[in-house]
Amino acid sequence: MEDITLTINGKKISCQEGTSILNVAEEYGIKIPTLCHHHDLEPFGACRLCLVEEEKTGRLMASCVAPVAQDMTILTDSPRITKHRRNIVRLMMAEHPESCLVCSKGNRCQLRQIAAQLGVGETDLYPMPNYKRLEQANPFIIRDLSKCILCGKCIRADHELVVVGAIDYNLRGFRSRPATVHDLPLKDSSCTFCGTCVSMCPTGALASKNTQYVGTPEREGLSVCGFCGVGCSLTMGVAGEQVIEVNPSHRQDTVNGATLCVRGHFAHDFLNAGERLIRPMIRKDGELISASWDEALEIVADRLLNIKRTSGPQSVALLGSSKCTNEENYLFQKIARVLLGTNNIDNGGYSSGQRLLRLIDEKTDGGCRIHPLEQLEKAEAIFVLGANPDQSAPVVGYYLKRASRKGVTLIVADPRQTELADFASVWLSLLPQSDLELINGISALLYQKKAYDPSFIDRFTEGFGEYGDGLSSLDLERVTGVTGLDLDILEETAGLLNGKKIAFVIGHGILQQRYGMQSIEALFNLSLMTGSLGHAGAGIYGLARENNQIGAWDMGTAPHALPGRQPLNDVLNGDTARRGWERAWQAKLLPDQGSNVVRMIEEAEKGNLKALYILGENPLRSLPQPERVRKALESVDFVVVQDIFPTETAEIADVIMPGAAFSEKGGSITNMEGRIQTFRPVTSPPGEAKPDWEILFLLAAKMGYTGGNDSLEKIRAEIAELVPMYAELDGQRDVAWVKETSQRKLFDPGGKGGMIPFSSVVSTGDEVYDDIYPFTAILGSVRYHLGSGTRTGYSDRIGELGLKGEIEISPEDGINSGLRNGDMVRVLSPHGSLERAIRLEKRLRKGLIFVPLAVNANDAMNLIGLTELCRPESPGWKTCRVKLEKL
Amino acid sequence: MKPEEIDWGRLASVIEKHRDEKSLLIPLLQDIQETFGYIPPKSIESVAEAMNLFPSQVQGVISFYAGFSLKPKGKYVLRCCRGTACHVKGSRSILRVVEKELGINEGDTSPDYQFTLETVACLGACFLAPTMMVNRDYFGKLSPTKVTSILAEYRKDKEER
Repeated sequence: MEDITLTINGKKISCQEGTSILNVAEEYGIKIPTLCHHHDLEPFGACRLCLVEEEKTGRLMASCVAPVAQDMTILTDSPRITKHRRNIVRLMMAEHPESCLVCSKGNRCQLRQIAAQLGVGETDLYPMPNYKRLEQANPFIIRDLSKCILCGKCIRADHELVVVGAIDYNLRGFRSRPATVHDLPLKDSSCTFCGTCVSMCPTGALASKNTQYVGTPEREGLSVCGFCGVGCSLTMGVAGEQVIEVNPSHRQDTVNGATLCVRGHFAHDFLNAGERLIRPMIRKDGELISASWDEALEIVADRLLNIKRTSGPQSVALLGSSKCTNEENYLFQKIARVLLGTNNIDNGGYSSGQRLLRLIDEKTDGGCRIHPLEQLEKAEAIFVLGANPDQSAPVVGYYLKRASRKGVTLIVADPRQTELADFASVWLSLLPQSDLELINGISALLYQKKAYDPSFIDRFTEGFGEYGDGLSSLDLERVTGVTGLDLDILEETAGLLNGKKIAFVIGHGILQQRYGMQSIEALFNLSLMTGSLGHAGAGIYGLARENNQIGAWDMGTAPHALPGRQPLNDVLNGDTARRGWERAWQAKLLPDQGSNVVRMIEEAEKGNLKALYILGENPLRSLPQPERVRKALESVDFVVVQDIFPTETAEIADVIMPGAAFSEKGGSITNMEGRIQTFRPVTSPPGEAKPDWEILFLLAAKMGYTGGNDSLEKIRAEIAELVPMYAELDGQRDVAWVKETSQRKLFDPGGKGGMIPFSSVVSTGDEVYDDIYPFTAILGSVRYHLGSGTRTGYSDRIGELGLKGEIEISPEDGINSGLRNGDMVRVLSPHGSLERAIRLEKRLRKGLIFVPLAVNANDAMNLIGLTELCRPESPGWKTCRVKLEKL
Repeated sequence: MKPEEIDWGRLASVIEKHRDEKSLLIPLLQDIQETFGYIPPKSIESVAEAMNLFPSQVQGVISFYAGFSLKPKGKYVLRCCRGTACHVKGSRSILRVVEKELGINEGDTSPDYQFTLETVACLGACFLAPTMMVNRDYFGKLSPTKVTSILAEYRKDKEER
């Protein structure tokens, strides 16, 4: 690309060939009005407002689509241009209904802004309002196409950014409008209600549906989404102290760009729910009654210290939150380790397979911590296993679908034909829990073809010979038998991956399954063999379910790790990490690993756990076998719950302390990419609720702690100073990245960490099927809820949707079992049962049923047995054998 | 052709013929319209799947072109010219006669799916004004009696069959 020179409004400008006039002008601060242009969308040239004049030839051009040329002399504001722009706007106004008074877009309407700038008021044209019927039959979006100016932003956002394709232009001329297929209402179309079109719409044609407040927000504040681990950057519109509107932030270089998903865009109305906890409660004579902060904190401090004294530190456990900030989790584990002297601390991320991701961290010695999602679009090949990001982390789904559209090889291994499978070059419809065999099989085929990276293997790894022997002796017939896949399709997949660096995207299908640990090791081997680690656009991307799941682990809210993922117990290196923390905190730290959340429940059952402090988690809803968990927790002498809602767990607490939601406090969170985002409060907490860090600090003070940490800044400074991984969290910038601290040769050529070892090839055991439980139930997320659905369950909009969580079954099994759509069934597993309606789903294979999570108080967890995910013999939490009884 | 008579196997074979002909959506749609007389709305999804497009995009193309119809049409499609030359030569009366004879209005299809009546802006045969087309045959220098006899021919065709 050569540099060329031109003149815009008399200003000499040099720029690269191929750029549009509009982009160049914007770069030089020359403002040109636009309605259909958006920097994340392909130029379109629909609205013609960006007209400019080439002075020498007199040509008028739409600057968004006209490329610059040598020696152009452009005028952007000549009287001729202004006249044309005025005419365009006058024509649009003539077709526009006069509903500005009640339009929720208000003064943010771009048509209105541009009309004002051009001095177009009352037009003299004959008004021809183009009335269309108003659509508001869904809880999220109001569609009033009378106000549509046909800029096509909604359509292009739908096609280019979120790749759903629910709408396109329909008909022609005056009748033309964006429409769904067969002109169905949005809720009957393929629309996912991500709301990206709503944020893009320049007029009021598309608007968020609000029930409580209609109109323009009084002010806006930046925040980070409180739901999944993508951590989208948000702008929250506020009226009074209520968040009434959420849009993607206008900042560039965010993880989500101009997109969001239905949860991020519409489910934040949970913040305004009337059920929010607004004052501390304590249990007196079996009843929960209101109390003052002082009273509540006094009781918590006293009882915790008392129990520690009388029954020992091992009888106290703390469950931190994958939804609370880094600062809060840091403080929380410090209370556990320093004041209570226990490593019995975990966070909700346990259920999302944190222990398994730890394997990768250990093998690389902290080398693979950064996974920018934007690199996926530049990947050579993407292999998705056990993940359905379209539902669980939709913004990741957008990245994958965009990559596929750009021609990146996408391979999807999933027993279910997910939406993403339709975008895949190959969909591997393997049997549940057979990912390990699939990965081994593909590795073996690649090994046979010598499709590995010898120089990478030589320079950075060890043990390849042994691993190769393992692959050579792998029985491919057994692989096809266990996975249920033909050798042909495995060969085809290996062919597509041959010679490529691979980005693996894994979700709960791997992280929660029976052979999770072994699958991770096999994947790790495959990524070493193909040289995919340490390479941009490759590596292992683990989906995070909660927004600060990674941060909670990084901050040491885990039974096995100190902040910065440093080991508690590292005798080989003289326990340097622990000794360092002992010096920094001036306290003696226990070297032994504490209990994870499942062990906490088991200890409670044995009567060994006397006190449990739960911060922002709802184990009674999120863990398997909720009844068992309830009994266990009821047997604990003293349970403290710090939360924003009166959850199932809060109901059995002895003390409830009302915390603040993410938008009501400051802090930082770390997303699945390793991006640390700092945010400030947008509103204040309701009632007497307080930011969680403040509650934790007040509690620490009551417990006699005098080591500072009395402001967010001081906590943050301590983290930045003591945790090398978080050195960038210096309070100076809103976006920082975690540090990879590995000394392995791959990451640090001069480092002392040595080579990365291959693990040996292991196979799955043989599945034993019995006739009593003929079906395999797969539990999975739906995009309208997050996790166990505690917070999304308090969203009015999600509630109005009335999800029933129908059990999906293949039509074949449905007919064989005499079931029709809508029939009620009881699903029974060895652990429990649930009752729901049935839906025949032709995309599901025979022998499987799908049970959506989060709905009906997350009763899906009744079916699963509570076992430790990190034990090799754990059956996992993802699938179970079930039978159906028609009701 | 009545909508319930759609032969889905035949539709599938038409689509299969064009599969992998990337960016040749319009020939496929023409082929479907040729086969069935219109484009059955239920075929939009399968066409989109074969062409690797969104169904909404396929619908957008169909509804953009006047030549494509999502509604079933009669066996004979009458197109009365309402261009300037024909208008001067009395095409409005011709249209009225056709409407009265067939008992349907402009844009409609007769309940027995024999006739569809449309108007067009010009057939390019102004020297024959007033004109109309029935499927691919032109009729010029029309008069009410001529119209009646032409329509009778097509009706007879029906009775004979």
